[in-house]
Amino acid sequence: MFGFGKKETAPDWLATVQETEQRWFTFLDKLEARMAELCEAAIPELQQMMATDDDQFKRTYLKVKAGINGQLENIRQKAYDAYDEKILSVYRNISDGVSAFSPYHDVISDFRDRCSDRYHQQFDQTYNTWWDKIAQTEQEDLEIKYNAILADYKATKNDFHCSQCGGNITIEKIYFITTHLACPHCNTQNTFEPCTQARSLEHIARSLAEQRTAHLLQAYNDELSRERDLYHQRHILHLSMIHDKIKDVITQKKQHEAELENKRQASIKSAPQLYEIYLREMFNEWNKIVPDIAEHNERFYQSQLKQFRATYQ
Amino acid sequence: MSEEKKLLSFVEKMKLKAQQQKNYGGEITATEAKMATCTCPNCGAGRAKQDGLTNCAYCGHAFVDVKLTDGLHIKKEDNSK
Repeated sequence: MFGFGKKETAPDWLATVQETEQRWFTFLDKLEARMAELCEAAIPELQQMMATDDDQFKRTYLKVKAGINGQLENIRQKAYDAYDEKILSVYRNISDGVSAFSPYHDVISDFRDRCSDRYHQQFDQTYNTWWDKIAQTEQEDLEIKYNAILADYKATKNDFHCSQCGGNITIEKIYFITTHLACPHCNTQNTFEPCTQARSLEHIARSLAEQRTAHLLQAYNDELSRERDLYHQRHILHLSMIHDKIKDVITQKKQHEAELENKRQASIKSAPQLYEIYLREMFNEWNKIVPDIAEHNERFYQSQLKQFRATYQ
Repeated sequence: MSEEKKLLSFVEKMKLKAQQQKNYGGEITATEAKMATCTCPNCGAGRAKQDGLTNCAYCGHAFVDVKLTDGLHIKKEDNSK
């Protein structure tokens, strides 16, 4: 009635499916090769531009980086369109006419799965890897900038004179905004305008503090993935018990499961603490770099902490 | 080989274009730190702090009309009475 037991001859779409799959794989291979070629050429270029771009905001570098990212995005878009056009349409056309009882039904769904995995796993992973590598070229050691500001301050702090009486005015600390300084000799209020470099201190301070405390944030992220890891370990162990019949084995596994769960609970407890340690330490570093805005930062810290705690409850 | 050359020149071209492109908002010129004084337009005296910063310490001419609020270096107390 349903054609049970009747041996089906190979349908004529079989060749189409095989050919489409092969073409798809070659196509993605080519796109990946093009991404590799583009990025391998661009990365040293970008690194060099990042190091040599004189612009305060590295705008030339950023333009080129945006261009490269656009090219990468184009390549991904090609894969996206082709997947819809070449793979899914073939799948839909054929699978509509194939009975679920047909021995060839699996062939067509396996075809779709293989093509999808090749695209959504392998291709996308390659894309993400290149994207991250391009993003990494933007990383800059802010300590160098900070040290340059400190050195500039030390070298010039005694170079200023009152514009009224000519007396020497020592700059007591790094000012990053325009400020009034009283001349110690004639008491005139001088307007001190810091140089562009010193002004940038305020802008790099947070990033520098984050750079200095990156290991603490990493510790928090590691704890998060440890929790996930323990959860999956326990899950696999739990599933493996389904067919176990021997009592001793089951008790042993259950004990192991409980141990894993305890560890996981401990991890869940310690993760937010690690984040709070990071946050405090990051703000401490930030305040060390720009003590002038410590008071303002303290309020910011409190609000960040409150927000974090709210998401954990 | 020629493919590589073509691609290198593509990145090069992009770089060249970026370098030639004018930045929105113009060039940024780095400025040196400097010291300056405002002299009072009324009596010509240098600006000094008597009871505050907003009025001239010598003739009482009002430099600014706004009321100062707490900032990093200037505080509320710096308003002349």
